[in-house]
Amino acid sequence: MSDETRETRIEAQNPLSASQKNPEKTSHIKSLIWGGVVTLIILAFLPVPLFTTNLSFMFYMMLWLTMATSFNFVAGMAGYMPFGYVAFYGIGAYATGVLYKTFGLPIPIALAGAAAAGVAIGLLLAPTLRLKGVYFGIVSLALAMAMKLIISLMPAKITGGSLGLILSGANDPTMAYYAMFIVLLGALAAGTWLSMSRLGIALRAIRDDREAAEVVGVNVVRTRLKAWVMATMFPSLVGGVEAWYTNAIDLESSFNLLVTAKSIVYAMAGGLGFLVGPIVGASALYGIDQLIWRHFPTLNLLILGVVIIALMLLLPRGIVGAFAQRFSRFRRFIP
Amino acid sequence: MLKVDQLVKTFGGMTALAGISLTVPDRSILGVLGMNGSGKTTMLNCINGIYEATAGEISLDGVSLIGKAPHAVFSEGVGRTFQVPRIFPQMSLLENLAVALLNKGLSNAQVAEISAHWLNKVELYRLRHNYAEELSGGQQKLLELARIMVANPKLVLLDEPFAGVNPSLALLLIGIIREMPQEVGCSVMLVSHDLTSVYELSDNILVMHEGHVLAEGNAEAIQKNPDVIEAYLGA
Amino acid sequence: MNELLLQGLVNGIVVGLIYALIGVSLNVIFGVLRVVNFAHGEFIVLGAYGAYFAQQLLGLSPLLAMPLVFLVFGLIGYGLYFLLVQRLSRSNDPEHASLLVMFGLSLVLGALMLLAFEADSRSLNFSLEPPFLMFGNVILPTTKLLGLGVSVVITGCLAYFLYRTMPGKALRAIIMNRDAIQIVGVDLNHLSALTFGLGLGLAGITGIIVSMIFPSFSPFIGQDYTLIGFIVIVLGGLGHPIGAVAGGILFGLAEQTAMVFFSGTVAMLLGFVLLIAVILIRPAGLFGVQNLR
Repeated sequence: MSDETRETRIEAQNPLSASQKNPEKTSHIKSLIWGGVVTLIILAFLPVPLFTTNLSFMFYMMLWLTMATSFNFVAGMAGYMPFGYVAFYGIGAYATGVLYKTFGLPIPIALAGAAAAGVAIGLLLAPTLRLKGVYFGIVSLALAMAMKLIISLMPAKITGGSLGLILSGANDPTMAYYAMFIVLLGALAAGTWLSMSRLGIALRAIRDDREAAEVVGVNVVRTRLKAWVMATMFPSLVGGVEAWYTNAIDLESSFNLLVTAKSIVYAMAGGLGFLVGPIVGASALYGIDQLIWRHFPTLNLLILGVVIIALMLLLPRGIVGAFAQRFSRFRRFIP
Repeated sequence: MLKVDQLVKTFGGMTALAGISLTVPDRSILGVLGMNGSGKTTMLNCINGIYEATAGEISLDGVSLIGKAPHAVFSEGVGRTFQVPRIFPQMSLLENLAVALLNKGLSNAQVAEISAHWLNKVELYRLRHNYAEELSGGQQKLLELARIMVANPKLVLLDEPFAGVNPSLALLLIGIIREMPQEVGCSVMLVSHDLTSVYELSDNILVMHEGHVLAEGNAEAIQKNPDVIEAYLGA
Repeated sequence: MNELLLQGLVNGIVVGLIYALIGVSLNVIFGVLRVVNFAHGEFIVLGAYGAYFAQQLLGLSPLLAMPLVFLVFGLIGYGLYFLLVQRLSRSNDPEHASLLVMFGLSLVLGALMLLAFEADSRSLNFSLEPPFLMFGNVILPTTKLLGLGVSVVITGCLAYFLYRTMPGKALRAIIMNRDAIQIVGVDLNHLSALTFGLGLGLAGITGIIVSMIFPSFSPFIGQDYTLIGFIVIVLGGLGHPIGAVAGGILFGLAEQTAMVFFSGTVAMLLGFVLLIAVILIRPAGLFGVQNLR
């Protein structure tokens, strides 16, 4: 398309979008939509324990909403694919278990310790942030495996060895449910802040064109580090709360690659880079996943793999991304 | 004032810049001419820190730029555009400009005011909420220019600003560049192989050839310089 | 010299060459196609199953199964290229897209193997006469020696192909400059599909060697091989077809000597430490042509 025709196209399209005349309305509508989504989430999850004692379905839905949302911080906003995302989940679970069981600390402090442990490991791995895209993903996966090996080498007195840890005495599903609820709200708040703040703008600039961002004054390493720290805290907390909820921790399930895989699938199915993306994706696929998981456990992996391939080939920008592409006039209203 | 002294850049065994020296005085435009592969873009990449210079010195108002990362060079007041515009496609025009103002310690109102000023100047204000990828190639070049101008740079490096820009936008661009030294108070290094606009805009012109400075002087002197004529027309 | 250490070093070279083979095939695919083949390990395991069933059903010895598996896997790769890989080049971020698609494929293949072959480990019924040779006090199983020999021959063939034949040179030209090759009038699609086939064919053969040398295999170990492959090519330099050989031997030596003094877990951990150290100290890899940063 030549310059002229493109310009006329944009010119012609402009009168259609109300936001041109009233720009403040754009961000207003966007906040309203996002506010509505968050309210809906609160209303859906807050009263559940009042009605039923079978919290599992809703508990794990919150878990995946949180995992997918915080995965979006690194993948959608900073442009990294941390394939070893599960490492932080596992570290959180083990930190909680060890602090509670081995050191006898109360659960809330153990959870705070889990978040701190996740962030500390995230900082330790900060040098890998210098790596370009795919190499970062690969190295991150290797580091997750290394983390699992390190924990398996630690004395069984502390980590429970191959048997894992049983958190007997901490059993309180309702409290754990609300702990997950708070973590989810925390992740949503962090996402809201990220998308509005200057850090969010810097991150999206890096994602769009790293070198160009550098040339206009963005300190790429430092900016990415901040997003990274935020993104490591939430999976650690999630791992810790999940350990509290199930009262059991073992290496295989704490460092199961499926945790990364599902975070990716949910975030991508919705659309990376949009706040609502992971929420749409997790809501759409979680129920189906649960159904399959319950009835055909081996098929679960197979179907997950097929879904990833199909998404990448047919809907690479996710549900929300495809919508934004198809109806580009509405794109600016999507949070 | 930008001072480049004996700048050398080699890639493996290949010498891209073989000792370039030049100065860009305050409030002036230096045009840089040269064929493809003469080292123009390499020189820009060395000045703004994308490449590390092999040898030589680069300084802006006495502050050395050697060894500084691109974002630090930008903080020193050096803005730069690319031959193929590099905007942030999935961000609105306003957000594109906001990126350059992130570390300036400005309030949101100030950011909005400065952005509006420059978007008006490049005639893109009405598209300020559009995504940058919706712009035409020429408009993207204007956006890229506005994005460095909002930060109030001391020096801007423009790499082929007229390449792929339609005539009416080129006129707008020429107008903006022409008034930069006096109205904005910044100096310009204009790299191009479009002779006409370089002759028209530049206070001083440098001709590069195979990593060397072939000739330097005002437009008239350059046009008469036998070396330049031979390099461009002969051989 | 300590005999255990000597034994470790010998094992290191044997295992290292297999790792090298994994790395070389991964690197050819990555270098030419910019595809990060996350499912590589699964294809290696499938190769091992190929040898197993060739032996069980057709009575073929693993050595004879090699050309068969290479051909079948090559054809599968050729087809898969058009099914999965080709359209990735149109994506916003082809490298990440390829990583994700191949990750999905690895999950699918792992699950399919689990369904078809079940979880228990299998081993190949393969032995040679004499079962091992003694050099002083160093024991060398003849199967390992044979595996070593086959790895050397295959690496040699590949090096000859890449550096001495026309299609091989074209492949290396693509690694260096993908855009330029289109101008020269090479059919990029056909060549890319062949490359993917070549990479998977090599993975299949690697699987057979693996099944000859290591005691057993199961559907679960694919991911381990993929990781080893990535460690090897990061060590040797991404996209450098033959650099992976050095990376593989280095990693094999480090792992096997660590195995002598510590446990298998520590040996694996050492590999990861090595990987991180190389990335931080020499980001282009030991023989790298391009920066990772």
